[in-house]
Amino acid sequence: MRRIGLKNLDRYLLVFVVAVSLNFLLPRLMPGNPLALIAGVDVGLMTPDERAEIITAVGLDEPLLTQFIDYWKAVLTFDLGFSYKSGRPIVEMITERLPWTLLITVGSLMVSAVIGIVLGGWSAWRRGKKTDLSMLTGMISLQSLPSFWLGMLLISVFAVQLGWFPSFGAETPASSYEGMARVGDILEHAILPIVTLTVLSIPGVYMTMRYSMLEVLGSDFIRTARAKGASERRVLFGHVARNAIAPVVTFLAIRFAFAFGGSVIIETVFSYPGLGRLIFEAVSGRDYPVMQAAFLVFTVAVIVANLVADLLYPVLDPRMRVE
Amino acid sequence: MTSHGSPAFDPAATSAAHDAALEIRDLRVRFTTPTRTIHAVNGVDLDVAPGEVFALVGESGSGKSVSMLSVMGLVESPPAEVTGSITFGGRQLLGLPRREMNAIRGRDIGMVFQDPMSSLNPVHRVGRQIMEAIRLHEAVSKDEARKRAIDLLDRVGIPSASRRVDDYPHEFSGGMRQRVMIAIALACNPSLLIADEPTTALDVTIQRQIVTLVKDLQRDLGMSVIWITHDLGVVAEIADRVAVMYGGRIMERGTARAVYEDATHPYTTGLLHSIPRTDNALTEWLPEIPGTPDQITEEPTACPFHARCPLTEHDCTSGVPVLEVAGPDGHESACLHHTSVGDGDMLWPIQDREIPDPVLPSDDPVIEIEGLKVHFPIHRHGAKRGAAVRAVDGIDLTIRDATTLGVVGESGCGKSTLGRTLVGLVEPTEGRVLVHGEPLDSSSGPHRRVVQMIFQDPFSSMNPGMRVADIVAEPMRIHGIGTPEDRLSRVRDLLASVGISPDVAERYPHEFSGGQRQRIAIARALAADPDVIVCDEPVSALDVSVQAQIVNLLRETQMATGISLIFIAHDLAVVRHISHEIAVMYLGQVVERAPRDAIYDEPLHPYTKALLAAVPAPSPTAERSTAPTLEGDLPDPSDPPSGCRFHTRCPVAVEGLCDTDVPELRIVDDLRWVSCHLVESTIEITPPSPEPVGSGT
Repeated sequence: MRRIGLKNLDRYLLVFVVAVSLNFLLPRLMPGNPLALIAGVDVGLMTPDERAEIITAVGLDEPLLTQFIDYWKAVLTFDLGFSYKSGRPIVEMITERLPWTLLITVGSLMVSAVIGIVLGGWSAWRRGKKTDLSMLTGMISLQSLPSFWLGMLLISVFAVQLGWFPSFGAETPASSYEGMARVGDILEHAILPIVTLTVLSIPGVYMTMRYSMLEVLGSDFIRTARAKGASERRVLFGHVARNAIAPVVTFLAIRFAFAFGGSVIIETVFSYPGLGRLIFEAVSGRDYPVMQAAFLVFTVAVIVANLVADLLYPVLDPRMRVE
Repeated sequence: MTSHGSPAFDPAATSAAHDAALEIRDLRVRFTTPTRTIHAVNGVDLDVAPGEVFALVGESGSGKSVSMLSVMGLVESPPAEVTGSITFGGRQLLGLPRREMNAIRGRDIGMVFQDPMSSLNPVHRVGRQIMEAIRLHEAVSKDEARKRAIDLLDRVGIPSASRRVDDYPHEFSGGMRQRVMIAIALACNPSLLIADEPTTALDVTIQRQIVTLVKDLQRDLGMSVIWITHDLGVVAEIADRVAVMYGGRIMERGTARAVYEDATHPYTTGLLHSIPRTDNALTEWLPEIPGTPDQITEEPTACPFHARCPLTEHDCTSGVPVLEVAGPDGHESACLHHTSVGDGDMLWPIQDREIPDPVLPSDDPVIEIEGLKVHFPIHRHGAKRGAAVRAVDGIDLTIRDATTLGVVGESGCGKSTLGRTLVGLVEPTEGRVLVHGEPLDSSSGPHRRVVQMIFQDPFSSMNPGMRVADIVAEPMRIHGIGTPEDRLSRVRDLLASVGISPDVAERYPHEFSGGQRQRIAIARALAADPDVIVCDEPVSALDVSVQAQIVNLLRETQMATGISLIFIAHDLAVVRHISHEIAVMYLGQVVERAPRDAIYDEPLHPYTKALLAAVPAPSPTAERSTAPTLEGDLPDPSDPPSGCRFHTRCPVAVEGLCDTDVPELRIVDDLRWVSCHLVESTIEITPPSPEPVGSGT
């Protein structure tokens, strides 16, 4: 297991370096003065002295290479600078927001993985029958739902009309819940965003699982298992399942990255104080340092998700193990 | 499901039925798809006695596998519809509840499948897969099952079984995986073993090992064996009785001796005459069975073979002929005219072909290969730096004008890589290939016209979206040969010359059978007007009844155009029929090179001897070669053994010489090259080669 990690680690390190370097170049490649990107629209109202001060403060007068090295230093020491809008340290803002995003993305991913794998497997097992066809049709319809619309629908039904769940935030404001009461409060707030994200990611998991399982069902070793006298249940759980799940793991890693990005819309709809909401705020306020830092966190999250998938693969499939 | 009584038309079977292990009556299997219905099995009656080895022989689509999968209840229904009666040990299997069928499968009937690479679950250790087979049927502890799994692995000839029991399937070679499959099938001591083409995916040397293993196990355990195959040769040695299937029906049935030596059905005699063999006198041309086997999409009302049969008369189409007694010992034939079949020489004569001004072989070299090496670097993590699969590792060969060089060897010996290098598809690592004295350039361009290629699988080697006329015209378009009008008429000529009507040139590849597609592939290769065609296993994907047509066509083409052929194949019998010279490859090197007759009459290298000895002869009484069978598998081509590469498997290797010194490929006598230290002494110890069993002339 450890050998596998090391084997791919060099590749992941390379991806990390390239992605983080691109993140440095991005604001500098955009049209217009990089100063405008860093200091925002107010740059036009500044006096030349003020401008010079800011340029020196953020190091824009240094050679590009020095800027690049400083940028890397900052990344590696988690010193991401200060928000232009609020003046707060960006690291602090991110550590405050990240757990909320992780809660709803990882939560929804786990729920949708379980539901998608079960439904996809069931569908493939009943291939061509009514169950399969109606489920398939349902999933295709689900897949075409716009995320903001689904979020708003859930709010209007479950929060506004039925009043079962709160419609915004991650916790009840100014409440002093402790212990289990607080956990309950957090879960109550997280349910609608998680449901929305889950519903959106189930079809993909379902499709991947269904297809992968159909492929495994047609393979020769399934016939061997039947020829041994294995019951259908045994064939399903003893031989099909593990072989079919491997591609789903890869899909989930990609889906995680997708959900992380998709959280911008969902968190905005639910006014959920996660990273996506932070990006939304940064974009509307042209707070470029915050945006850059948030992108960095996204990049790392995607790389980590893929690494986890890579580590899981050999566990599921011995052919992937290095001898 | 309908249960039939004993059919009145088959008295022999009725008397045998009482002690039959397996009794099949009027088995019919239909597959219904949205577009059509395929009648795969159309009324099969069959009895297998306890302890009998029964061979079911037929081409792909003859219904042989489907019949036996029906016995196992492994034909999925729907889409299939299985009717008739299958009784096993007195019990009706058709329509048996699933739970009861599961109890019989694996316990009373074991089955081995064709492709050992895909028939084992890749994510479970082999021990676990054998233990599963035991514990599904017997209440034994895990430890006990594991002990038995190790015993079974040992019994099927897996070295150090107690260590390998915990390995995964991908850590075994193809032959070893098939042994594991056999261990699974035999885990509960079944009284019937069904082997579905168990050696088709394996090399001839490994095939020999598996046949011997099953023969020994059958003798020790006393079970019945049904061996399904398309290869008449494989089963001749071990079968007690043989049934030949065609079009979903049994054409002929009898003792192996009767079927092979006294065949009474035109189809059987046709197969026995047309398949290339190593044990008969060579003839210029092979007798052909015309046409191709068709898929049956309507309820049959005629003899399934009538369209291809030289004996066809009106009555052949007025009803489906049933098996009738045609000889002693229950020999039966489903031919209305079986008394006119004779020995088949009259039915399947060798048709001489008139070729005006045939081009005769000459000594002028067309291709010269000098010190050729092709290494594929291994990028896998953990591999040694610079590690490479040495697919071709130092080859010198000359291909002469208007001749055929046959290249043979086990899979993994590098013969296909050699072929691909000659066409310029692979860059040589070292050495060079001269075409007409010019070094071969693997970049694209007009120089590539001279060497063309025919591939093994005629389906995947053609763009399915192109019309046949465009497929054949493409090489001319690429090389700028002729005007569009010229090309069109040339396409028509080419198609006619390979036996395809030019009127169908506007059709797409999927509308043709495998044999027809291979003809089109030959026309495509000829379109570029090449001097050399590399044929990589050109007949091994074709139905056996069609192979002779393609071999003859290639010969005819060579004589008419003076083209040189490089014929790469694992089937030594086919190679013998078409080649002037043979090169035997082992682990990337040529170990013996000689004119055709010299190799087949008196092989000198121990590897060549072992290869030839492993070729099964389609005759139960043929003299079996006394040469020892080859043990073990091909070594890892990225780390070949020291000294003579063959010494690890060589029956006569001498310690201190063969394992340390590399033998050079040297001239032994006129035109013969052998790389073996012991060649002089092996000439002495070789008994004079047995008289070939005459047939066909």
